[in-house]
Amino acid sequence: MPDEEVLEEGVLNPVQPEIQDPLLKSILAENEALPTQAPVELEQPAPLPDPVDEVDCVVIGTGAGGAPLLARLAMAGLKVVALEAGPRRDPTKTYATDEKAQHFLFWNDERLSAGQTPVAFGNNNSGTGVGGSTLHYTAYTPRAPRGDLRLFTDFGKGVDWPFGIEELEPYYEELEHFLGVSGPASYPWDPNRRKSYPLAPLPLNGAALLMQKACAQLGITTSPAANAALSARYYQEGIGWREACTNRGFCQAGCNRGAKASMDVTFLPLAESYGAEIRADAFVTEIERDAKGRVTAVVYTQHGEQKRQRCRHLFLCAGAVETPRLLLLNELALTSGQVGKNFMAHPGLQVWGTFEEDIRPYKGIPGGLISEDTHRPKDADFAGGYLLQSIGVMPVTFASQMARRRKLWGQPLRDYMRSYNHTAGINILGDCLPHENNFLELAEEKDARGLPKPRVHFTAQENEQRMNAHAERIMRQVWEAAGARDIWAFERYAHTIGTARMGLSGDDAVVNADGRAFDVPNLYICDNSVFPSALSVNPALTLMALSLRTADKFLAAQQRLDG
Amino acid sequence: MASPHYPEGTVRALLQSDLVTEATRAALLPRLDTVPYTPQFFDDNTFELLRAVAARIYPQPERTEPIELAPVVDKRLAEGDSDGWRYDAMPPDREAYRLGLGGINQAAQALFQQPFVALSEAQQDQVIGTVANGTAPGENWQQLPIDRFFEELLAELTEAYYSHPLAQEEIGYVGMADVPGWQRIEPNQLEDREPKPVN
Repeated sequence: MPDEEVLEEGVLNPVQPEIQDPLLKSILAENEALPTQAPVELEQPAPLPDPVDEVDCVVIGTGAGGAPLLARLAMAGLKVVALEAGPRRDPTKTYATDEKAQHFLFWNDERLSAGQTPVAFGNNNSGTGVGGSTLHYTAYTPRAPRGDLRLFTDFGKGVDWPFGIEELEPYYEELEHFLGVSGPASYPWDPNRRKSYPLAPLPLNGAALLMQKACAQLGITTSPAANAALSARYYQEGIGWREACTNRGFCQAGCNRGAKASMDVTFLPLAESYGAEIRADAFVTEIERDAKGRVTAVVYTQHGEQKRQRCRHLFLCAGAVETPRLLLLNELALTSGQVGKNFMAHPGLQVWGTFEEDIRPYKGIPGGLISEDTHRPKDADFAGGYLLQSIGVMPVTFASQMARRRKLWGQPLRDYMRSYNHTAGINILGDCLPHENNFLELAEEKDARGLPKPRVHFTAQENEQRMNAHAERIMRQVWEAAGARDIWAFERYAHTIGTARMGLSGDDAVVNADGRAFDVPNLYICDNSVFPSALSVNPALTLMALSLRTADKFLAAQQRLDG
Repeated sequence: MASPHYPEGTVRALLQSDLVTEATRAALLPRLDTVPYTPQFFDDNTFELLRAVAARIYPQPERTEPIELAPVVDKRLAEGDSDGWRYDAMPPDREAYRLGLGGINQAAQALFQQPFVALSEAQQDQVIGTVANGTAPGENWQQLPIDRFFEELLAELTEAYYSHPLAQEEIGYVGMADVPGWQRIEPNQLEDREPKPVN
């Protein structure tokens, strides 16, 4: 075995090991002395070409945070450029129905997972490529229940959002119709909506039907879930007809039909039809500022070359790990002391069982059935709540999680996996409280680009532990009622949230209620990092709503300036 | 209910059919090749040790040509590829494998005074058992969290094993044959191309 330096061990795709940009070098060299309003660029012009003139807006990241606002800004007639770290692919030709082959969908640069409940990244919660994490999301699109935005008011724990659900509702409606969300005609836990889902629910698979029957026995209300995957052909502005879902069950490793509303088949083509430019394989390393602290340009690496793009405004939408990492690397917007703080991850406890029935868990939309009866359980000994959802699962993901949890090996491992086709699961998606011990920092250890790896500390606190215990009890009851044997639970944490929180004051928040950085007047942040609290629903729909709202707030502010 | 067994040949046959997309076929067919593998990262002895360990975690007595898992690990470490995260308590992957495999040999020496590859299958299982329950002797375990090493080793071998078309066939998985989509998705509903258990 080669005898190498430890630092070399972590090197991935060894390209450009040296930092070539002088500003970034200086930041890395002396972490202490760089003032926020660094006039470095004026003193020391970097020898980089400016391939394109200044644009109105640069958007970093093309996931659920960046893509909707990119389209909105382009439609308003602004000159906009999106920089996406990952590649652009044609899913219809290049996506395989194979988990290993789809490895490229995930952000595989190594992150360090610390704390008592270390969070898995990569295929657990982090995507890359034109479309970001929506390329692998399950398409689960419940709206946030009203109370989730005022956790502190209701429980005296966590924090309130700086606005109420009424700010998001018009965007939820718009999104459900634009994306073509499939769901029930009437939503049991929110029956007074102005508009119902535009498409009928997707068909329920084995796990969903078993859960539905058992919940009915136990008096738990269920409903077919809202999923941003088409139950029928759907016409979409900027794209044309999108084809219906064929129940491939492969959402989490990429849809090859365009049936799932990932950003690459929805907002991004819309944005391009209005003149937005999307540059793939463009990894941003540096955010340049003028003497007043305003962002003037971003520097990125594309195909081994360093480039600069000047901009009047910057929208940072790189996700709750890469966004704070970029801010920390660039010592940008740090005055509040909140960048990297309050990292949250949704309790996503899964309960699995083996059934007599032949289930074949690879078929059908994975999250077919939902219950929000547990949103505010009467017997709860914790703040907030959670939703219940049936789950389908791909074989490698299932086997890997099972092995980590049950530690089976040898013949018992192969024997257990032979019952894969008779396996069904339920999981929760629970709220998570912000906590000072849960945060992101830059590690000493460097990646292939020579940049410090992010280290994320996460420990499930008492509230999350109590919620998990409550949920495990209920899910075990459901699976027992459904006739399962060999029931076991897997403690899991989903999504990356927090780390650049939104709030009313620059003393304790990084961005204001409009998504604008308190420290930097022309910097907006829009991704999971701005969520003040985690919410008890999958974040994608709320994030897209926030993205459209951020664009509208920005455009309104620009109009005021112009007028 | 005993674990179901599925007929042999189903996945091989599907991969030759138009029920599988070109991209999927291109991903899966090469994994059926059984060309000899020359390690790129591990030295020959360490590679054979990893093979021997993998053969106890995924014993395949019924196969004349077992699914080889060690090459998947060796290739990944040689390329410096990652799954996007690492336990902060663990050293980098290459170092973790070096320490962990060395620790397995130390445990074999302490328990049976021989290297792991020289032991009988029953003795090898005893050694793996001490790693799995965190009691393996050996100085390397002072530098490496034994529970996390075993978890990571098990997860990587598991992902390698069940990515193989024949292991997928073993558990009755035919999700790769999805060109027509799936209409019969309720419990006990099967499409014609889904294999039924044979017992």
